[in-house]
Amino acid sequence: MVDDNEIRQRFARLREADQESAPSFAQTYRRARARRSLRATRRVRALVIAAAAVVAIVAVALSYARSSSSSAVTPEITTWRAPTDVLLRTPGSELLGEMPALGASVLDTMIPKPSNTGT
Amino acid sequence: MDEVELKLQLERAHADCFGWAMACCGRDRDDAEEVLQTVYLTVLDGRARYDGRSTFRTWLFGVIRRTAASERRKAWLRGEREAGRREAGSGAREAGVIAPDPFAPPDAEVEHESRRDGLHHALGQLAKRQREVLQLVFYHDLTVEEAAAVMHVSVGSARTHYARGKANLAAMLGDAKEL
Repeated sequence: MVDDNEIRQRFARLREADQESAPSFAQTYRRARARRSLRATRRVRALVIAAAAVVAIVAVALSYARSSSSSAVTPEITTWRAPTDVLLRTPGSELLGEMPALGASVLDTMIPKPSNTGT
Repeated sequence: MDEVELKLQLERAHADCFGWAMACCGRDRDDAEEVLQTVYLTVLDGRARYDGRSTFRTWLFGVIRRTAASERRKAWLRGEREAGRREAGSGAREAGVIAPDPFAPPDAEVEHESRRDGLHHALGQLAKRQREVLQLVFYHDLTVEEAAAVMHVSVGSARTHYARGKANLAAMLGDAKEL
């Protein structure tokens, strides 16, 4: 067994050895600052890359949305009919849309002619 | 405390801090220096603030201890990832088996052997808390109460670690002496 004094002496020797090999405060501080600036540069670079990636993704998404929406909407507009269009049709409107034939009866257009193949 | 005053305080405590950082990093000089750099930046950037509840040195030792633990965790995670990549790449190495470094200088082994006989080896055999409290008391001349504040444990717990650690260390150093 060793006593407290010897333990203390051994630790003192260890401390002396450490202090001999210790870097100076100025050196440690300088390296710390260099590390900080390096880290900041890396962070800025990562942010720039991330921002560029986001911009690229948004641009691609917007152009895709624009092209798909324009192709989808055009046929809808040309084929669209208002649900109330039926109200615009008045009785006998088909008669008013044609040129009247002289000597013909209105009923001729409405009543189908009998076929010649009958008995 | 303004930045100039902080820098002055850090400079005064630097040698002591380096010794404590060495202890927190398993006596790895490079790791200790890296931890100190991180601590200085943390303190000077105001991410760790001294509130005056203890002495500046006690508070700073606490910051160093936490930073070293955090760096150790990061290094462990990096190691795990790298090990995973290596394993995926070769697939031949068994988990947990560390191959000897073929590029280690020949005197590294001798140095390693000589360390084994000394205080460094004996400290390495102790439990972490015991090692920490002995380092703080014998190396840095802190009281057990101050050591408890650095280690974020109760004074009673620190006393127990101190008593057990000292007994274990004395026994180990005594055994080494007899050999």
